[in-house]
This record gives sequence, C-alpha cells and structure tokens, in this order.
Amino acid sequence: MTIAQGQIFSFIAELIYCIGVLTMISRARKGIKIPELYQVPGLDALDEAIGRCTEMGRPVHFSPGIAGVDEAQTLAGLSILSYVARQCAKYDTDIIATNRRTVVYPIAEEIVKQAFVQEGKIANFKVENVRFISEDQFAYATGVTGIMYREKPAANLLLGAFWAESLIFAEVGATAGAIQIAGTANTHQIPFFVAACDYCLIGEELYAASAYLTREPILMGSLVVQDWGKMFAAVCIVLGVLLQTASVSVLKDIMGK
Amino acid sequence: MKQELPVIIGLAFGLFIVIAMFVGGVPALTTGKNYVDDWFLVVSAWAIAVGVVNLTQIHGRRVQQRREGYQYSLWLMICMFGMAFFGILVAKSADHEGWKFMYNNLIAPMNATVYSTLVFYIGAAAYRAFRVRNVEAAVLLVAAVVMMLGRVPLGTVLLGDWIGDTAEWILNVPNSAGMRGIQIGATLGGIATALRILVGIERAHLGGTGD
Repeated sequence: MTIAQGQIFSFIAELIYCIGVLTMISRARKGIKIPELYQVPGLDALDEAIGRCTEMGRPVHFSPGIAGVDEAQTLAGLSILSYVARQCAKYDTDIIATNRRTVVYPIAEEIVKQAFVQEGKIANFKVENVRFISEDQFAYATGVTGIMYREKPAANLLLGAFWAESLIFAEVGATAGAIQIAGTANTHQIPFFVAACDYCLIGEELYAASAYLTREPILMGSLVVQDWGKMFAAVCIVLGVLLQTASVSVLKDIMGK
Repeated sequence: MKQELPVIIGLAFGLFIVIAMFVGGVPALTTGKNYVDDWFLVVSAWAIAVGVVNLTQIHGRRVQQRREGYQYSLWLMICMFGMAFFGILVAKSADHEGWKFMYNNLIAPMNATVYSTLVFYIGAAAYRAFRVRNVEAAVLLVAAVVMMLGRVPLGTVLLGDWIGDTAEWILNVPNSAGMRGIQIGATLGGIATALRILVGIERAHLGGTGD
C-alpha cells in the first residue's frame, strides 16, 4: 500500500491543512478566542434583500446552483439556504427555491421545511415553493427565467456552482428588478456575476458563508486556517518564482512528488 | 439520531473515497470506490422519480385550478410523460430511431436556442458593467475594449499587432494571476467545507441551522 505517484505532496499538504482546521475547531470549542472575520458585503446584504421582499410583499428566489450534492459549492449554497429560509420564515416572506438536480431537490425541501418548523411557522411553509425544474441545464435556465418574469421575486439569490446559465439568471433578475446576490467558486462565471449582480461572493467567500452568518466560533475557527493556507500558497508562489528564475528546481520537484 | 446517522454514514463513505483517491496499489479500494460511484448513480436515478412527482404536483394543481398560463403546464406534462412512456415502452434504447429523432430535432435545437440567447444577455450586461462610473469601471472598460479588438482580425488591421499582443498579455498575466488567486482560495475553502461536513460540524444541509 503506497500513496499514488504524484499525490504525495498533495496528500501531506491536505493532511496538515486538515489537522490545522481540526485544531482550530478544537480551540474554538474550548472557548479560546478566534480572530474576527472581515466584512463580506454580499453576506451582510442577505438580510437587506429579505427585508426588501418582506416590505414589497414579494418572494425571494434562491438557487443552490446546478451541480449535484457531490459538489462542495452546492453544500455551501444549501447552508446559506438554511439561513435564508429561516429569515424568510421569521418575517413571513415566501421563498421560492428552484433546483436542477433531483438529488438536491428533496434536501432543499427538507431544509426549507425545517427552517419554518424551527421558527414555529410550519403553517406558512408552501411545499410547491421548493421546485424541481429540470435536470437539463438550459431547461432549468428557462424555467427560472419564467419564474422570474411571472412571480417577480424582489430578491434573486444565486449561491452555488453555476456554468453558462449564470448570466441568463443574473440578467433576468436585473430585468425583474430584483436585488441580486450571487456567489460561486467557478472562476469563469464570476465576471458575469460581478457585471450583472448587486453583490458577488467570490470563490472562498461562498464557503465562508455559513460560518459568517451563524457566527458560530466552531465554524469560524476553520476559516482562520483557510487564511493560513493562502499565506502558505503565496509564500510558495514567491519562493517558486525566485528558485525557478535561479534555475533551482527543488520546490518544483518536491511538489511534483 | 435523525442527524447523527447521516453524519456517521457521510464520514465513513467520505473518508473511504478520500483514502481511495490517494492510496494506490490496493485493488479492493478501487473496486470499493467504483461500487460507491455506482450506488450514487442508482440513488440519482431513483431521485428522478421524486422530481417527476414534484413537477406533477405543481403543474397538475395549476391545470386543475385553471390558473393563468395553465396551458403551458399541461403541455409540460404531456411532453414529460409522453417522452417517458415512449422511451420506456416503445424505444427501450437510446439508439432507437424515433428516440434519436426526438432528441436531435426537439431537445438539441431548444437547448441551442436558449444557449444562443446568451449573446443578448452578454450585450446587456456589458453595457451596464462598462459604464464609466469610477476608476475600476474605467479599467474594466479599457481592458474589455483592448480584449475585444485584440481578438478579432479587424482590430489588428486597424491598429496593428500591438493590440493583439496586449490582449494576449492581459489574458495570460493579470487575468491568469487573478483567476489562480481565486482558485487557490476557493480550493482551500472547499477542503475546509468538506472537512466540516465530514466531521459533522456543519450540518445545515441536513435541515435546520444546527441548533
């Protein structure tokens, strides 16, 4: 039994990273102070968007992206759905959650239902507002477009993994006059969201959302290690550039193992 | 227990997949991983039924109550069930001529049509994004103009080779640097999220916010 060729560095790096995350979580559990998080305007605006819907008497539209449950972005999106649904339940605002994947749909339905249960407003939960549209990418895009035009949500929340349909959603939302908060880690779609939405969560901010929104120290602990990881990556990049410029390939060889 | 059991199952299978990804030379791990992948496909296939039930409930109610635009709901159900019955009872294979005809002449053109509407959305989004309101928008506008002119023959003909070279430089240097920075952050975030879910610290996706 050996570590697969070319995976040794990645295995060790991920192992150290995971140990770091678990250590910080353990420290947070013991009540040791965790550094403050920087402000993420897109996440701060979630309450504002829900409040706008409440004032206007219009629903919130939420999409957890078009990927399945095997994609971390979808799970991050569903965590945000939990928060949004609970806020909607609290303020008696309708939430329309659309899904592309049949595997994601029952999870989304349960999340929204539980949010209404936790707020003691199960009577306000509308099962028909958590919708499976289609497994086909553009059929899903068309379905969401129709919902945006017909039901005119006052907030359009697009948080998960998106591909070519991202701009369709964002532009239709803008046309419908919705406040738009989008977030994805798919780098090729970020420019579309930046151009067409009011707020955009870029890459890691999507994953940090559940910790940021709940402010649970245990969840926030893992975010600190993310920043350490980025610093380590930055040091490796600078060191790698210098070493490669000097024709020294030690770092490259180690990382290639 | 309602939340503990999924966390335990998730942890067991998650760790197994991670180990199978990194450890080589153990055929049992590869076989096991293939089994788990197949199970996922089976679960996904069964989940289709849940989706069909949801669509039927929503659109059936709309037709029953004759709500505005109920004809579209009726048409959706005719197409959904028509395609399903034809596939299951008549075609029985993706190679069936009738099935291929419907796919190639109905579904594929409709997909292409929706995809092609993107060009208009890009135009509208670009118009809003490129309005010069601050320094950042001005930089975006200049970069976009250079990129557009640099990627078409007309730009080179009108302005010379430098426009193409500049566009290439923007794409390969500042753009790549920014994208990779975001990717590094997103990858670290993804690993941390996966770990939080595996060990059951983050369980909002199981319903509720954990309290």
